[in-house]
Amino acid sequence: MTLFSLAKRNIIGNFKNYMLYFLSMIFSVVIYHTFVSLRYSSEIEKNIESFQSMRSVFLQASIILIAFVAVFIWYSNAFFTKKRKKEVGMYSLLGLRKKTIGKMMFYENLLMGAGAVIAGVLLGTLLSKMFTMLLLRLLGTDVDVGFTLSLEAIGNTIFVFTCIILITSIQGYRLIYNFNLIELFQADKEGEAVPEVSMIGVIIGTILLVFGYWIAFQPVDSTGQILRNLLLIMGSIVTGTYLLFRTAIVYLLKKAKEHKSSYYNGINIIGTSHLLYRIKGNARMLTMIALLSALTLSAITIGISQYYNFTTHAKQLEPFSYTHISKGDIEEEKIKEIIYEDKNHPVQAEMTVPLLKVHSDPSDTDLPEYLEQLMAEFPEEDFINLISAKTFNQVSAALDRNEKVTLSGNEAAMIKPRYTHDSFSDYEGRTITLKLPEDGKQVRFTHLLEGRVLSWRYPDAYIVLSDELYSEMENQIQPVAYKTYQVEDQKNTELTSNQLNQLGFNELQLSTFYKVYKRGLESAGQNIFTLGFLGLVFLAATGCMIYFKQLTEAHSDKGRYEILRKIGVRKKEVLTTISKQSLFIFLLPLIVGISHNLMIVKVLLGINLIGGDISFPILSSIGFYIAIYLGYYIMTVNTYYKIVNL
Amino acid sequence: MKMVVEVKSVKKVYGAKGNVFTALDGIDLSVMEGEFIGIMGPSGAGKSTLLNVIATIDQPTSGDIFIDGTSILTMNEDQLASFRRDKLGFLFQDYNLLDTLSVKENIVLPLALAKVNVKEVEKRVDDIADTFGIRPILEKYPYQISGGQKQRTAASRAIITNPRLLLADEPTGALDSKSATDLLESLKELNEHRQATVFMVTHDAFAASYCKRVLFIKDGKIFTELVKGTSPRKEFFNKVLDVLSVLGGGTSDTV
Ligand SMILES: Nc1ncnc2c1ncn2[C@@H]1O[C@H](COP(=O)(O)OP(=O)(O)OP(=O)(O)O)[C@@H](O)[C@H]1O
Ligand SMILES: [Mg+2]
Repeated sequence: MTLFSLAKRNIIGNFKNYMLYFLSMIFSVVIYHTFVSLRYSSEIEKNIESFQSMRSVFLQASIILIAFVAVFIWYSNAFFTKKRKKEVGMYSLLGLRKKTIGKMMFYENLLMGAGAVIAGVLLGTLLSKMFTMLLLRLLGTDVDVGFTLSLEAIGNTIFVFTCIILITSIQGYRLIYNFNLIELFQADKEGEAVPEVSMIGVIIGTILLVFGYWIAFQPVDSTGQILRNLLLIMGSIVTGTYLLFRTAIVYLLKKAKEHKSSYYNGINIIGTSHLLYRIKGNARMLTMIALLSALTLSAITIGISQYYNFTTHAKQLEPFSYTHISKGDIEEEKIKEIIYEDKNHPVQAEMTVPLLKVHSDPSDTDLPEYLEQLMAEFPEEDFINLISAKTFNQVSAALDRNEKVTLSGNEAAMIKPRYTHDSFSDYEGRTITLKLPEDGKQVRFTHLLEGRVLSWRYPDAYIVLSDELYSEMENQIQPVAYKTYQVEDQKNTELTSNQLNQLGFNELQLSTFYKVYKRGLESAGQNIFTLGFLGLVFLAATGCMIYFKQLTEAHSDKGRYEILRKIGVRKKEVLTTISKQSLFIFLLPLIVGISHNLMIVKVLLGINLIGGDISFPILSSIGFYIAIYLGYYIMTVNTYYKIVNL
Repeated sequence: MKMVVEVKSVKKVYGAKGNVFTALDGIDLSVMEGEFIGIMGPSGAGKSTLLNVIATIDQPTSGDIFIDGTSILTMNEDQLASFRRDKLGFLFQDYNLLDTLSVKENIVLPLALAKVNVKEVEKRVDDIADTFGIRPILEKYPYQISGGQKQRTAASRAIITNPRLLLADEPTGALDSKSATDLLESLKELNEHRQATVFMVTHDAFAASYCKRVLFIKDGKIFTELVKGTSPRKEFFNKVLDVLSVLGGGTSDTV
């Protein structure tokens, strides 16, 4: 019998034992291959304009996935190997040469890996078709997705997994060399040594976490600060979580053990000691899972919040359905004609928005901070847009908004710049000297307005003046006029929008709501898909990791529960202790993950990566998370119970 | 006197079609409260199997067992568990210690399951640790102690609840003669002063001489039985040796 066939027999003979490991490998391949297939999908490429940028998102995601999948397989392999150490020791005791045993382990792992890759690629291809359809639907393009195999994707998957599996196979080969016989025989019995509790670890961990959270709640002003804070938060949270998991859990469990009246009460003694027995390995895994979950949840939150808020964003970027610079020429008539020809979208409001472009006086010392920064950035440009209170109120009325403003004398109102968190107090009582050809005019800020008037451009500075002051200035500078239209059902104005865009104006001269909206829809769809998909995959995968780990434990616990039953432990009590232990294992990363996630979201809000109403995105992503974990929890308890009661 | 255990024509057959093995072949046996019974017989005779079915951790293929007058066939899983927990002490041949628990925790386990209060638990552990000389290893884990120490730990766990029925499967197999005598003395004390019924499987005629009655099993059947009566231990010991020489399987040459 050749070694290869011995390895093959080993697998077939003990297929049940190998199942868990095999399944976790297949699972990894499926996730990865699904993702890679999407990256190389020609259907997606054909249907999405901005596929290039999307591809880079996919690329980044698949790099994270490789790392993740590699770690996952590594862990599964470690559990699996641990279970087999005794067998390996036995071979050696029976006189098989180390080299032979090593080779056997090597081939065995290689064989299973190959099987997993084949199964995974098939399943992954199917899944990716499903996801392609889902993605195209989310992006608003309905097409039939044919069935094509992407050789590129398959090649990529095979390459990645060959590397990973080769490494684990080599690890298997070295197993017999890395341990002496007695260690192999006692591997399953010995448990991992219970780590010493160091109060210092608990304290440092807590301090780090508190520090990280504290920083997250500090206001930030500059990009430099943001970067510094992000690094500090990352560092302190990662180390803090690890230390806390390593020390605090052990500390708590040991405390629970010292509390004799509850420890020596029924089945508690078993649950607590079981948890403690495996805490070292679990702490590492739980830290990783808690951190990954937090990141993932944040990614999902970003994705959902963008999808959820992009209509609002589009309205802020492009308040009117159509906006163009008005010069009173023939082209303008043509635009009007096209807009009015579209009978499906009747015009609700048409108006002219005149504005004055000015610069502030460089000697100004009392500027609001935001304007001061713009001044420094654009010293030469007339970047300040002035409009009259009358115009502002007209726009409000045309767009069905409630906001109205009344100003008199040299009172002025700032329209809140987008992408800032400015509040009225940043402007209150501040002044700006508007530079005019003849003299300067100082105005004082008395309001901060929310309503946007024209298409968003950078620099973004709109100041509303009292009607008297505005007309006074109008005599000194030539106003620029914008013509705006608001139509019914503007989300579906694709045809008209395309027609207008073909007239040959650039975006500064003519812009349409639909174009901005469509762009937002696409990028939001992309984000919700990539982030959401990746996120769900990650959450599913982390849950799965706990599941597999628990099942492996169940297998090695089988004998222990048998002993317990022999000395009179009821089945119900066994179920109770299993439920409690598993709850502990699932709840820890869940709680820490959610709490870290909330903190990260807070940071993201602070740096404007997400905005608007985020309660729905947060609740739904946390809801997903809890649902996934709940599912795994129930599955775990069920399977665990079945395994130990067999 | 009350009948504690009654075994009625119990058969135990292992294996499936084609490859069956009869481990117990129609055993009948009555055990009165306060008895100290020894079971002897060659290896593979079915001694452990008999203990297992009496302990309700294995089911007889046919026949019935009555515990305090109740048939175990009519008892459900919960009632069986209660019986094992509350009335039974079992010293397993292969110890069955939990490797996730320290020696002390292993010993405490049955008390914890019975929710005995902490003070009482500590007191009993204290007593038993001295009786069996395991005080120095209380905080160790099973993989860190020797075979004999494991056996003494298992004995402590079986005895600590003061069970009404104690089943001991070769309790002295791994012990030196001093430890063996200590253990036998404490079984005797349990039997005499706490009215526990003791069932002990042994290969050792010296251990058997502690019993009030010894059953000899061969090929799954009761071969014969010896009653100590009023005869001194030395004499009973010799009688046991005589039967063993006919039966084959037991050894011991010192008293
Ligand atoms: N689970 C099992 N399946 C099949 N056969 C079994 C099983 N358990 C025990 N046997 C067989 O039943 C017979 C009786 O076993 P048992 O353990 O009762 O012997 P014993 O008298 O306790 O022997 P020893 O003195 O060696 O402990 C043996 O021949 C054994 O091979
Ligand atoms: Mg036996």
